[in-house]
Amino acid sequence: MSNANDNPQAGQGRPLPKKDQDLFRTVVRHYETKQYKKGIKVADTILKRFPNHGETLCMKGLILNCTGKRDEAIAMVKTGLMKDMRSHVCWHVYGLIYRSERNYNEAIKAYKQALRIDKENIQILRDLSLLQIQMRDLTGFVKTRHTMLELKSNQKTNWLTFALSKHLIEDVKGAISIIDVYLETLDKDSPDVKKNYESSELALYRNMLIAEIPNNYQDALEDLEKCKHLVLDMHLWLTTKALYQLQLQKYHDAKETFELLLERGSTEDYSVHSGYMCAILQLSPPTCTRALKIKGARTIANTLPLTDDQKDILLKEYQNTLLDKYPKSAAVKRIPLTLFKCNSQEWKTSIESYMEKHLIRGVPSLGKDLASLILVEKEGEYVIATEPCDIVINPVYQNITSLVDGFVDSLETNGSFPNKEGKQPPSTLLWTWYLRSILHELAAHYSDAIKYIDKCLDQTPTAVDMYEVKGRLIKAAGDINSAAECLDKGRELDKQDRYINNQTVKYMLQAGKEDVALERMALFTRHESNPEQNIFDMQCYWYEMELAACHARKKNMGKSLKKYMAIEKHFEDFNDDQFDFHSYCIRKVTLRAYIDVLRWEDNLWGHDVYAQAAEGIIRNYLDLYINPPKDTTEDAEPDYSKMTAIERKKAKAQARKRKKKAEKKAEEEAAEEKDSKKKSNDKSNPPKIKDTDPDGKELLAKDPLEEAKKYVATLVKNAPNRISTWLCQYDVAILRGKYFMALQALKKADKLESCSANHEVFSRLIEFSKLEIKVHKHAAVQKVFESERLALLDSKTLNDFVKDVVDKVK
Amino acid sequence: MREIEIDFGMITNDNVEQLRIINSTSLPISYPDGFYKDVVIAKDESLNKFAYHNGFVIGAICCRIQKDGDASSKIYIMTLGVLPSYRGRNVGTKLVQSVIDHATSEECQKIGISEIMLHVQISNNDAIKFYERLGFEKGELVENYYKRIDPPHCYILRKKL
Repeated sequence: MSNANDNPQAGQGRPLPKKDQDLFRTVVRHYETKQYKKGIKVADTILKRFPNHGETLCMKGLILNCTGKRDEAIAMVKTGLMKDMRSHVCWHVYGLIYRSERNYNEAIKAYKQALRIDKENIQILRDLSLLQIQMRDLTGFVKTRHTMLELKSNQKTNWLTFALSKHLIEDVKGAISIIDVYLETLDKDSPDVKKNYESSELALYRNMLIAEIPNNYQDALEDLEKCKHLVLDMHLWLTTKALYQLQLQKYHDAKETFELLLERGSTEDYSVHSGYMCAILQLSPPTCTRALKIKGARTIANTLPLTDDQKDILLKEYQNTLLDKYPKSAAVKRIPLTLFKCNSQEWKTSIESYMEKHLIRGVPSLGKDLASLILVEKEGEYVIATEPCDIVINPVYQNITSLVDGFVDSLETNGSFPNKEGKQPPSTLLWTWYLRSILHELAAHYSDAIKYIDKCLDQTPTAVDMYEVKGRLIKAAGDINSAAECLDKGRELDKQDRYINNQTVKYMLQAGKEDVALERMALFTRHESNPEQNIFDMQCYWYEMELAACHARKKNMGKSLKKYMAIEKHFEDFNDDQFDFHSYCIRKVTLRAYIDVLRWEDNLWGHDVYAQAAEGIIRNYLDLYINPPKDTTEDAEPDYSKMTAIERKKAKAQARKRKKKAEKKAEEEAAEEKDSKKKSNDKSNPPKIKDTDPDGKELLAKDPLEEAKKYVATLVKNAPNRISTWLCQYDVAILRGKYFMALQALKKADKLESCSANHEVFSRLIEFSKLEIKVHKHAAVQKVFESERLALLDSKTLNDFVKDVVDKVK
Repeated sequence: MREIEIDFGMITNDNVEQLRIINSTSLPISYPDGFYKDVVIAKDESLNKFAYHNGFVIGAICCRIQKDGDASSKIYIMTLGVLPSYRGRNVGTKLVQSVIDHATSEECQKIGISEIMLHVQISNNDAIKFYERLGFEKGELVENYYKRIDPPHCYILRKKL
């Protein structure tokens, strides 16, 4: 139409006639409200008259992308962009398409291009800044936010994000000053100077920044007092105040603050107790920092080495003051158990009544609770003992065990405790046997443990908890199959108990019964979809991890790799999911939580779960490298030449049958897809991506050593504190012939856990020392290599070294 | 007697396996799957219930309403069981008493429940004494009622309401 060509919009994207402008706005609105079908319809209306309108083409492409027609969408957007290169809208949409494909670098380029055309477009700047923070391009982020602030200095979020950006590039003082300037722009009546959630969070964030300046605790403390009138989170305010006071060695003040915290109801918060103890004992600031990081239900009393005098001081404090003030607090009653002198009569009486109370109540976790009292020294601190050989010789363990034996005797004979009046109901004896069994388990006395748990099951065969323990014991004793069956029996008793169901699934997977495991798992997944898909959607990594290990044990490497990759995909999603929080957290002013999230995401690839999956992948690929799979697939043509005529006929008939079956299956699946497509046509959700490679054949086709190398590199970079990282590094390096790398790996491994503690390190060390390696043509380099290798053995001969290690282990 | 405290609870599809365990530790014959299915389907806690002690199932009673030819209805006790370690502590008594209380309640009187009855193997003197203490009377002898246990005869025990 001559009209279209004459019209200046036909390629320049200059303003459409008013009616079409409105239509275009509706297209954008439909896109934003996810009414995709309507959006496309309206877009088509515009395109009918202006088929070369770049911006509409781009919008239509964008909408198509949201409905899953990715390839069509990209093509359309590209066309649209070609038709109107000077439109920032087109470039913006181009960037959005890349962003939806997670190709963030290309998206950033597209946005920058768009900005070149329209330097002050807030929308594009905002999208660019989101990508910059997502990709941690921190310097770019600061620049962009600065521009945004200058363009719109009346928007609070621009101030806050700019301050945050300064914080992230570690210009803490800069960040503080920006917040201060912002606060000065506010007048008296602004809601941000009154006490509410947002101003509270901002004040606490600002205070956190002040404390991040080295040795600035005095200022931080003063600032904290100044902003008290704004703060809503008093618990945090008091905890932070106490932290500052400890760092400034104002012990008396700190003690008062901790007392306030206890009075507010934080009596069960063990870190408050730790801090309280630090204040009373007036410990050094670095020790205090360490103390407040202790996790779980432990305090400095059972983590740091305290002298007997120190323990006495604390004991008096707890027994005389705290117990009177908080007689119902579980923590206050429990902490003294860690303060008494181990074999003293006081300790024995105390722990006896503690156990009696819990056994009458029937607390299943009593065994675990008592186990946390059995400590072992490690690198100057105390940790909970886990090795049976450490536990058995421990005097705390021995005392507890003899007390419990006394309970068992007394309850079995006359139904009461040795030192307590009154007959006990049968459940007390049940829990006492249960406790005795767990104590045996700690010491690895599995047959004795099973004896006691059987007594429990005899008395009360309807007790689901007992089956779980019995299963665990049988597994520890070596029979995973019976263990899985035992657990399944327990599961049958209470089909509403998801925990026991999950335990059963875990054991089934470990016993190699993945089909049964999936059946059990499916009892609790949502019923509309395929259970495996639901497990993936729920990011249920423990199941995927166990299943992957199960497949690997059965040498189904492809399937195993697929499951490990699924876990990797979850982590990729964790990384991508932070995207929405960049704008959300600033808007809601939850700045401290936001910083925590960013810092957590920075360490994402060193997370234990990811590392475990990566190690699984590496081990699988190494296995594939050493034992490449033989090509005995069903589809492969059997070797006809080696058969007799009859065998040939039979083989051909079988092959024909298989082919027919496969064709029929493909037909059925195609018909199913057609059906499901009809059903899901109305929904605007993108269709589920069908898994075209359920057996992981694509993964198997990759170069195993290359893949292993890639994953090891990630682990080395992100998880250097895991010993398995260095063991993997060693194994891969040896196969690649990179002996210096192997040497480095052994050195790092040895530093983390010496070979007398870890047999994996030990065996690799020995193997490495025995290798005849010509590592470099230069004699000097070879010499260095040999001398370092010898240093690993503490410069002893191989035999002597081995002897020494054996002696140490004894 | 060292009485213990119990709570009652409903028998459902999710916990019916526990009923199997109670019956197998208490009764000489095993019941078919259909029995358990019917109990679950009935969904009637007044007639089919567990006895709980400190969170564990330790006993159970299962009854049904039977109509006789003469237009009156009876409550028939099909199974009663308590785990061996928990016997002698009034649990069984409490279970039966709860059914007696239900039978004498208004709603059951409206339906016209006239008595509670059950069968007891003639050799089971403990059981006979137990029910007599609760006001049941020994009725007629039924020969060869049981197919696989010895003696195969039983008494009918009745409590008129």
